[in-house]
Amino acid sequence: MSKAAQNNHSDEPVITITSVSRAFGLRPVLKNIDLHIGRAQGVCICGVNGAGKSTLLRIIAGLLKPARGSVKLCGLDVNSEPEKTRSQLGVILHKSMIYPDLTIFENLLFFAKLYGVKDGHARVKELLENIGLSPYRYDRAGVLSRGMLQRLAIARAMVHRPTVLLADEPFTGLDVEARRHFISVLGKFRADGGTFVMTTHDAAMAIRCCDRVVVLDKNRLIFDCETSRIDTDRFTENYLSYARNQD
Amino acid sequence: MNYFCESLWAIFVKDIVTEFRSKQVLPTMVVLGMLIVWVLRIVSQAASPSTAVIGPAALWIAFLFSGLLAQERSFATEEQEDCIAGLLLAPVDPGTIYIAKLFANIVMLCVFEVVVVPVAFLTFQLSVAGRWIQFLTVLLLGNIGISSVGTLFSAMVQLSRARGALLSVLVLVVLMPMMIPATFALLLLFGAAPEALAGTATLAFVGNFKTAVGFLIAFNAVYTVACWLLFGFVVRE
Repeated sequence: MSKAAQNNHSDEPVITITSVSRAFGLRPVLKNIDLHIGRAQGVCICGVNGAGKSTLLRIIAGLLKPARGSVKLCGLDVNSEPEKTRSQLGVILHKSMIYPDLTIFENLLFFAKLYGVKDGHARVKELLENIGLSPYRYDRAGVLSRGMLQRLAIARAMVHRPTVLLADEPFTGLDVEARRHFISVLGKFRADGGTFVMTTHDAAMAIRCCDRVVVLDKNRLIFDCETSRIDTDRFTENYLSYARNQD
Repeated sequence: MNYFCESLWAIFVKDIVTEFRSKQVLPTMVVLGMLIVWVLRIVSQAASPSTAVIGPAALWIAFLFSGLLAQERSFATEEQEDCIAGLLLAPVDPGTIYIAKLFANIVMLCVFEVVVVPVAFLTFQLSVAGRWIQFLTVLLLGNIGISSVGTLFSAMVQLSRARGALLSVLVLVVLMPMMIPATFALLLLFGAAPEALAGTATLAFVGNFKTAVGFLIAFNAVYTVACWLLFGFVVRE
């Protein structure tokens, strides 16, 4: 693991993962993971299926508890102070977390209320303009295409202006236009000082969207490097082999 | 407190709107309720007991099983698009989610009863002799009891992916003690039982109407508080 990558990050870590381990039954999924992510960083967690990417993301979000170790968000433990940490987090998972029987506007307004957003109507209108779903605001979410639903899921995650955005395989099933839109949203989010962590199999997308890549292999974190220091061609060709050889 | 009320109201309204739009459970509840009432009416004609005896049984069986449908649905919608994760990721206390879901399930049962109770009254030719307030109180207390236990177990069953018959098995076993005073109270209101009972029979420990309502209130308090406290453990890992 590159020590330089750890040292060059912003001073105060926004996410601090310390010795996190987790198993499902007798099967270990994560072993002794340490990771520090600074403010306004974009970090991509790469790994093959079953490497533990989604589990790690769910642990950061507080949806799963680690068997050992701790996760801190802005200095607060996600498990002992869940209400405070959750208001800082925006999360995009495999599924949209959108109610198909509510309209697009109602869905966003509902989550705005859950997060205690002041002037929720104005915030929802603003988001709908940003994601280009304003003309469809009275349509039920159940009729949206995959790409539009993903846009709505992104808006849902951003409704309360989080400081940290977690995204689990956000590009799965998206067409080129939807991908471009998501990348622009990420760019703006980070430009505003937001910290972003995503998981993906797509090494090229990891290099394109993030300024740091970590690789999980066999339940361990084997690689952590800034994208500017990575040989892009070799990494995108076979990131796992690249990561193993760098260790 | 303000945030608690706002988030509770938001989840409650969302559940009600979702159900009335999807129309998935209310029609099924009504059909099931009508079927139970009708089948028991036919049975009572064949066996020739007093309709006032079979009436309370028909009502509670209909409320229990139709209530189970509503409660099962209340968490099935959350599972659809992993919406439960969306709720749990928000800075809302799980207890607030439980209370909002409980209110929504009580409202669903009340709407169902608005349709089924008049049908049962007509079918069984029931009469409460002007004691409507007592009758509605017993129904409301029954609704709260059924919904409080059903909401918690529905979350357990849906989120553990056990599904199916497990919900009815768990809920009916836990609700069994509450159904004794509930049934007694309706028997008494329909004039099928004496004002006060004594002895060692199953219904006799209830004694009279006031005690029956007291038991219902006590069961509801215990069930609701226990389920509210346990809900956080059920929905979180």
